[in-house]
Amino acid sequence: MSIRHVTIRLALAVLGLSAAAAQADDASFMPIADLGQANGEQIYQHICQGCHMPGGEGASGAGFYPKLAGDPRLASWQYAAVTVLNGRNAMPPFGLPEDRISETRTVHLSDAQVAEVVNYIRSHFGNTYADTLTAADIAPLPHPR
Amino acid sequence: MNTTGPDSPSRRELFRMIGSVAGGAAMYQAMSTLGFAAESTYRGPVDLSGAPRGASVLILGAGIAGMTAAYELRNAGYKVQVLEYNHRAGGRNWSLRGGDTYTELGGFTQQCEFDEGLYLNPGPWRIPYHHRGLLSYCKKLGVPLEAFVQVNYNAYLHSSKAFGGKPQRYREIKADYQGHVAELLAKATRQSALDAAVSREDREKLLESLRDWGALDADFRYGANLLASERRGYAKEPGGGLTARPLPSQPIGLTDVLDSGLWQGIPSGDRYDMQTALFQPVGGMGRIGEAFARELGPLIRYNAKVVDIRQDVHGVTATYEDLAAPGTKLQARADWCLCTIPLTVLAQIPMNVGAALHAAISAVPYSSAVKVGLQFKRRFWEEDEHIYGGISYTDLPITNIAYPNTGYHSAGKGVLLGAYIWGQNAMEFTAMPPALRVRKAVEYGSRIHPQYPAEFDNGIAVAWHRSPFTLGCYGMWSEAARAQHYDNLCQVDGRIALAGEHASFIGGWQEGAVTSALDAIGRLHQRAIARGKKA
Repeated sequence: MSIRHVTIRLALAVLGLSAAAAQADDASFMPIADLGQANGEQIYQHICQGCHMPGGEGASGAGFYPKLAGDPRLASWQYAAVTVLNGRNAMPPFGLPEDRISETRTVHLSDAQVAEVVNYIRSHFGNTYADTLTAADIAPLPHPR
Repeated sequence: MNTTGPDSPSRRELFRMIGSVAGGAAMYQAMSTLGFAAESTYRGPVDLSGAPRGASVLILGAGIAGMTAAYELRNAGYKVQVLEYNHRAGGRNWSLRGGDTYTELGGFTQQCEFDEGLYLNPGPWRIPYHHRGLLSYCKKLGVPLEAFVQVNYNAYLHSSKAFGGKPQRYREIKADYQGHVAELLAKATRQSALDAAVSREDREKLLESLRDWGALDADFRYGANLLASERRGYAKEPGGGLTARPLPSQPIGLTDVLDSGLWQGIPSGDRYDMQTALFQPVGGMGRIGEAFARELGPLIRYNAKVVDIRQDVHGVTATYEDLAAPGTKLQARADWCLCTIPLTVLAQIPMNVGAALHAAISAVPYSSAVKVGLQFKRRFWEEDEHIYGGISYTDLPITNIAYPNTGYHSAGKGVLLGAYIWGQNAMEFTAMPPALRVRKAVEYGSRIHPQYPAEFDNGIAVAWHRSPFTLGCYGMWSEAARAQHYDNLCQVDGRIALAGEHASFIGGWQEGAVTSALDAIGRLHQRAIARGKKA
């Protein structure tokens, strides 16, 4: 939960607004239309951690979700960015154009957001890669169509 | 009148017309859609006669596909062994009942505390009448069925942005939408606006049908009269004795109906795979998997995690870990292999097949989906709101609330499907710990049923991307991936064939698993016969 959202919820509580009013700003959910405004941390916590887990530790069952904590493959930002854009194996693609996401029931992240979430992953969970990507780094990479 | 021409005032065209006028804003991101409506290819029992003596098949996965195949191959005389990752059969055919424990990926464990006889179907929950393959196995295995209610005219359509957030009854929205559209179309017809499309002879028939369809009065108007109330309900219901006289209700105006977006909920039962009749097994969808498991008995080995699949010129060997004895690796071998492991998992298992099949296995992303079951202290939806089964739809993140299609008027507790979600909100629900998912389902549901907070008892939440045995809900084929990879996925590769909903055009439906299994074993059988006899 982001600091901004915590603040909003506290403010509503102080004002004594009804539970229903508070839910309109429920930090647990982004209105579908607002996903485009989400930053790297929010994207990770609302979407990625469903599979890769809150601490980036991954998980294992009949198959596994790779852990992001200390994953040596993250040394390549290109590897991480291409994976977010196109998916990998059964992982959904997040770089499809907005008008194509319903076909596979995924969501759309802009190049700037892909850069942000890759930056977030590569600088958290014990990862300390210092280079910071921008949308301009993502644009030339292969995108799904 | 040409009833099939592009200008025919068919119902579909009317929806399209209104949709384009209103801008077609997508209010419900996943309204009752599941997979693609395609007719089942089931054409009766599979013919596997002439199985070579002693021939064997190893089946990976004891879901609906694997057990359909095991049942038929065993009956045909093949030696069959099934390996299953879970400690139970069924796969996504599954019901959670009181006393069950479910641990999802990440180690989050939930206890199901439902009362006796109550359940949640985390996966499939309805069977269309035309899913003849699955239905035939229900019949053969003695699984009793009951009606699944898709459309309940007294359930709600709800938008947080319309009517002050007050839920509307389906029958009111449907009657008012239909009535207003009929009135508009009648007006256009009578003003000769449709003369180019409608012959003079058909004009009167069209008008009469519009009156009938829309509950219009003698002047082709839709309004606050008993005619309309017969569709949308009354302000005061007709009864007996001195309190008998009904009072008509006031329809919602056309603009309000259109602005609300609730018209998007009207065709929820019109899709081929949602049309009446639909069924559910008595006691939960999991009864089908349980019946198959009883039938197959010791042919299924549970707690077997497949880690390697290797074929050679004589047969196929699967290496698996016995989860009951961690670290123990065992092998199973047969002449042929039918692999029903979901592609999420299969993509991570070393297997010596051709490049085309490998590419196909990695080409299908799996969808995110979440279901939340909520137990309440009483069946207030029946007692207070007269909703017996069916589904309410909402634009809130829970997407819908479904009422039990069984046990009507039971004393004691009841279980609702408190959320059934796809897409972004499903991903967000998945990212939460299970207890928070349940709490959120209660919070949002309270905006539709204010009884929730006082009556809530306990709940359980299943997020399919956290499912240890599937790592996702079902395979989402894009059109491009389908064109490039689908046939390759279904081809027999040496001695290995794949089956499951992912190897079908009925993705996400159990019928896809049944028909793909029957298709695949039919082709394996032909190969087995061609080999003359055992390998």
